[in-house]
Amino acid sequence: MDRGSSSSRGRGWQGRGHHGGGRGGGGWQGYGRGRHGGGGGGRGRSSPPTPSSTAYRAAVNPTPAPACTVDDAAPIVGTCPDMCPARERAQRERLRDLAVLERVGGDPTRTSSSLAVKKFCRTISSTNVMASDIRPLPVLRETMDYLLHLLDSSEHPFETIHDFIFDRTRSIRQDLSMQNVVNHQAIQIYEDVVTFHIRSHQRLARSCQDSDASSLCFLNMEQLTKCLLSLFDMYHAIHESDSHSKREAEYYSFYVLLHLGCKIPKMVDSLSLWYSQLPPQVRQSKEMLLARNLLRCYHLGNFKRFFCMIAAEATDLQLRLVEPFLNEVRARALMYFNHSGYKLQHHPLEHLSEILMIEESELETLCRICGLEIRTSEGMKAFVPKQTSFSLPTSMPQSNGIYISRDEKSIVIQVNGL
Amino acid sequence: MAAYLSMGEAHRRIGDYLSRVVDAISSSDGAALASLVAVSSAPGSTLLSDALAAFPDFPRLAGDRFPHLADLLVPLLRAIHSHSLQRFADAYSSFEKAANAFLQEFRNWETPWAMEAMHTVALEIRLLAEKADRELTTTGKNPDKLQAAGSFLMKVFGALAVKGPKRIGALYVTCQLFKIYFRLGTVNLCRSVIRSIETARNFDFEDFPVKDKVTYMYYTGRLEVFNENFLVADQKLTYALMHCNPQSESNLRRILKFLIPVKLSIGVLPKRTLLERYNLLEYADVMTSLKTGDLRLLRQALDRHEDQFLKSGVYLVLEKLELQVYQRLVKKIHIIQRQKEPAKAHQIKLDVVVKALKWLEIDMDVDEVECIMACLIYKNLIKGYFAHKSKVLVLSKQDPFPKLNGKPV
Repeated sequence: MDRGSSSSRGRGWQGRGHHGGGRGGGGWQGYGRGRHGGGGGGRGRSSPPTPSSTAYRAAVNPTPAPACTVDDAAPIVGTCPDMCPARERAQRERLRDLAVLERVGGDPTRTSSSLAVKKFCRTISSTNVMASDIRPLPVLRETMDYLLHLLDSSEHPFETIHDFIFDRTRSIRQDLSMQNVVNHQAIQIYEDVVTFHIRSHQRLARSCQDSDASSLCFLNMEQLTKCLLSLFDMYHAIHESDSHSKREAEYYSFYVLLHLGCKIPKMVDSLSLWYSQLPPQVRQSKEMLLARNLLRCYHLGNFKRFFCMIAAEATDLQLRLVEPFLNEVRARALMYFNHSGYKLQHHPLEHLSEILMIEESELETLCRICGLEIRTSEGMKAFVPKQTSFSLPTSMPQSNGIYISRDEKSIVIQVNGL
Repeated sequence: MAAYLSMGEAHRRIGDYLSRVVDAISSSDGAALASLVAVSSAPGSTLLSDALAAFPDFPRLAGDRFPHLADLLVPLLRAIHSHSLQRFADAYSSFEKAANAFLQEFRNWETPWAMEAMHTVALEIRLLAEKADRELTTTGKNPDKLQAAGSFLMKVFGALAVKGPKRIGALYVTCQLFKIYFRLGTVNLCRSVIRSIETARNFDFEDFPVKDKVTYMYYTGRLEVFNENFLVADQKLTYALMHCNPQSESNLRRILKFLIPVKLSIGVLPKRTLLERYNLLEYADVMTSLKTGDLRLLRQALDRHEDQFLKSGVYLVLEKLELQVYQRLVKKIHIIQRQKEPAKAHQIKLDVVVKALKWLEIDMDVDEVECIMACLIYKNLIKGYFAHKSKVLVLSKQDPFPKLNGKPV
């Protein structure tokens, strides 16, 4: 595709937010690592600065490189026709370094061009990258499609599939950034990667409760955040004419919704700062207004409105994203009600389950985990406010989405599977 | 006009300017040197710029006469020339070269005699970069000069923020850097500079010049607003306000623009006359809503000024005042009830709150009100409890509506 124009756009994109990004070590190599390579160093703006981030280099040792080196060099153009370069394939066969999903007939020493996908390389060096090791955009698109189709497979446990796609999408992002591709197709790939991480976020939170899974959740969240921020940079770079798609507004809203969770990695920018740089059309979009209102209701303690809005307005992906946080919100509601209620009047779970949109039995479990004792009076389960045994739990029971009970008919709004 | 200038006269004027620069350096006259490098404030046509236009060979003149300072003088003349022709990107590039040469010299001078000139260079490079970026944007090119100016100023900062007599000038450069980072939206880059300023053991912050301290506190206060650290933000912005030159109305206004939302969030309301005096009436309705409990008015004020509030970064601060406005509304209901029926004044039916909200055209049911009351009680904005079954809020007889007293909610 229009590689020429994409590289010139890329410069503008790289320029924003980077201190001396265009001079003090910009170029594809600089931001392949510092910005959105999905790589080790994290984002240029993140803190604490890592040695690989361009911002750090510019800030600490701001000697400008000769102005015309990296900036004017044409970005590398990949020629690798397969999902995995032949050279890497042969090497990994030899080293028996094949993922389960890459083996021919389960043989750890045999793979094929239709199974092997290029691994993410942590320590990539600019000097010995060959065009034959880098996949051009159409191949990256195919690779992404191949990876997404694996999600439907039930042959392997989800953790195995997740682990594989997690790594291989990082390598896709790495190839994109090395070629300095910033255009609509690249954006679409990034959106797909974000979608993958949101789906995983929901599924991992549901499927496992042990500590192993929580580190998976954490790593997944980390990449989700990084991808989102890179995606926003790309949106920004590509808009000279400020036309924002609906899809885009939805992806922007994810950033706001992530602030609902308490366990997410610290955001790079505070929300106030982030809002101040957001185009007004995006801020006013339906998706963003929902996210902003949800956050407002959360701070206000208006939990009833909070859950009603999610049930009525959230998109499929928004719902998946917030689902793992919902029980944290509910636990907070229980904390307020327990603290502020009148000791002599029981609070029926039925009422709470309606407001918090959770099945009564699940709510009961949540109450117990929070240290609340449940009593039965007049045939109704209820909790008595002012129990001093209450404490916010450190790990939440899995959330099953939004539950609405009306006229004997129960609807569970949840998104099943992947 | 340049056209009427004889070559001899042009030659003489350029030579005169060059000797004044060189004299200022050899006599260590910082003030004179500062005025000679102030490129961007010069009008379009000056005696010197006309001469440069009439005598295109000026680089050789400078190089021949003062070879030891050619790295500084040649690009400096070029910058002045380009600037007078309103070619700002060119002017910036030349000025950056001159600035680098100047910094080189400055490093070698043991005393800080040239601090004033160094500061002028720091200011000029920022102003020129802003002009250059505007020009680059309109011609469809990548506006990267302000960023480049930031890189240069980091070098200056590095040369000043060391032990010794030059350190006193570091805060001025820090403030120029803040201005750049805020303009570019890369405020995270402020951190390393702040760390270097605030952790210095051998230099007391109070020893910096007052005007630099005020600017520094203004910007770091704003950073704390972004991060919603209201107590620290209050300290910093209050410091800036107290030490700011009282004659400088526009600076006072800029400080108040952030200090007022911060003060509101910790329960301190300014007088309306203050808003009028400094033309900050965008906060008037917000303040009124805090006094009257009018939630609709708060909402309207936030909507009306949304763009402005979001841009400056105070929107979320103001949005969080909502809880305080609810507190006020309940208090109002309580006061009215006390007049009507003192015996039952401390019991407020949730239905009454729902009704009050309806008058304000806010549609909210009893469950929602109950949720918010629970939150108000939890956050100690109301003392008391709610009875779920009877749908009544029971207020404590002592101090049912605690004041924030300078603490955030």
